Amino acid sequence: MFQNNREGLALALPAALFTAILFLLPVGLLLSEAFKIGGQWSLQGYVDFASKPLNQTVFLRTLKLGFLVALTSAIIGYACAFCIVNLDGKNRGRVFGLVVLPLMISPVARTYAWIVILGRTGIVNDAILALGLSDTPIRILFTETAVFLGLLQLFLPLMIISLVSALENLPKDVIPAARVLGASWIQVFTKIILPLTKDGLVMGGTLVFTGSLTAYITPAILGGSKVLMLETLLYQRVNVANDFVSAGIIATILITMSFGANLLLKRIAKARS
Amino acid sequence: MTSKWTSRLIIGLTLTFLIGPFFIIIFAGMSAGDFMTFPPDGLSLKWYMKVFTVESFRESFALSLFLAIFGTIAALILGVPAAYAISRYNIPYAETIKTVVAAPIIVPGIIVGLALLRYLVVPLSFTVTLALFMAHTALVLPYAVRVVSSSLNNLRSDMEEAAVLLGCSRIGAFMRVVLPNIQSGVLAAFILGFVTSFNQVPVSLFLSGPGVRTLPIDMLSYMEITYDPSVAALSALLALLSVAIVFLAEKFLGFSRYV
Repeated sequence: MFQNNREGLALALPAALFTAILFLLPVGLLLSEAFKIGGQWSLQGYVDFASKPLNQTVFLRTLKLGFLVALTSAIIGYACAFCIVNLDGKNRGRVFGLVVLPLMISPVARTYAWIVILGRTGIVNDAILALGLSDTPIRILFTETAVFLGLLQLFLPLMIISLVSALENLPKDVIPAARVLGASWIQVFTKIILPLTKDGLVMGGTLVFTGSLTAYITPAILGGSKVLMLETLLYQRVNVANDFVSAGIIATILITMSFGANLLLKRIAKARS
Repeated sequence: MTSKWTSRLIIGLTLTFLIGPFFIIIFAGMSAGDFMTFPPDGLSLKWYMKVFTVESFRESFALSLFLAIFGTIAALILGVPAAYAISRYNIPYAETIKTVVAAPIIVPGIIVGLALLRYLVVPLSFTVTLALFMAHTALVLPYAVRVVSSSLNNLRSDMEEAAVLLGCSRIGAFMRVVLPNIQSGVLAAFILGFVTSFNQVPVSLFLSGPGVRTLPIDMLSYMEITYDPSVAALSALLALLSVAIVFLAEKFLGFSRYV
């Protein structure tokens, strides 16, 4: 540890000033626009925004999809992470690598695949027609189901990573001990695994939830204008109507949620160390 | 035995869900027909070839490559000294500085793009390319600081103190002692930053002008007009490129330690 703090500050300040002036300042100005109506400071923008049925629908849909994606990835995540942790060293590394890999691939490429799968002439519809479950192709693209599947595929790895590291820290003998003492698998999960891995669950859940709330590409490609979410609504408001008040409000909602989630994560990280 | 098979089944199904779609786009791009179908109507590589001849793909690929390389280098130039200061000095307001530098991760990209367009590009006549470059630098900066900090924290600080005591200048000690020891961390930060920047979409949604488009944005707009398999082919190529980069990085750097 060096004592010359002025030197240290000189090294750190360029990065901090760069981000503060060229990044945070413009974003702050954008957020402040939502409070200015006709040059006057007011909350009217928020009142108008909240009273529009479309905005309410989009807001609730975004929360609902975020929640459903987080819940589903928690269920699949526990099952999958539990299996991964029980693999031997070499296979565990390989499977874990395959789970992480999609995170490094372009989300456009990842989302585009779902068009091929869910489209009118896609695999799912071919199967439905071939099995005679329906006479005409079913519309799956541009529904909430499509957006849900896309988001789940995008963010499930984050949940699995969090749960694997939580389960790795679980003492090896607690589960056999509980089984020997007569606990059912459901009791083992609710009384032992869940309380001991809840930090990992909250961490994964927050990453998946905020990731889903702030996703743009998935709702844009798989939902289109039929299934708007907050980010696609923001894009539409600005591009179609030049409506910077709504844009500022949506931006404030999104930043508040991801900032809140970030605080929660920091608190967990601190409690752990 | 049954539990072993259940476990394999669960892992198999999850991996199919996560990775299966990539195999589908690889094959969908090999279609010999003119429309996207799966299974493809006959096999050919014509769409993979076509990708390289589309003028706008070539231009946007060049822009994305430029932003990813130089944005990440700029982020490292700002981020390495900052990480060094945070880990080696007892600087005032360290927490505030860390929070400010980490902020770009929290702010959704679409908002960043809109804010830069509205307050820098329009009133101060910044070019779109410059605004994109700044946004990408700011976005990569948190990763650069985090990855370099963690490799600095794993390096004992008494070596550089010894070098200074033996008469080396501070900059000399950094260049000769610290940098050679953290070079794989810096390289890992570069790769992570490159991939993050290259795949970045929302920032560039508003920050694109005539002739200035990043590759993912170009793909999004191409997709809206046509439904031929070239976007599938391009997606498959990009996915394979990412896989190759990550595979090499893992092999030579043990990349996953840093992510």
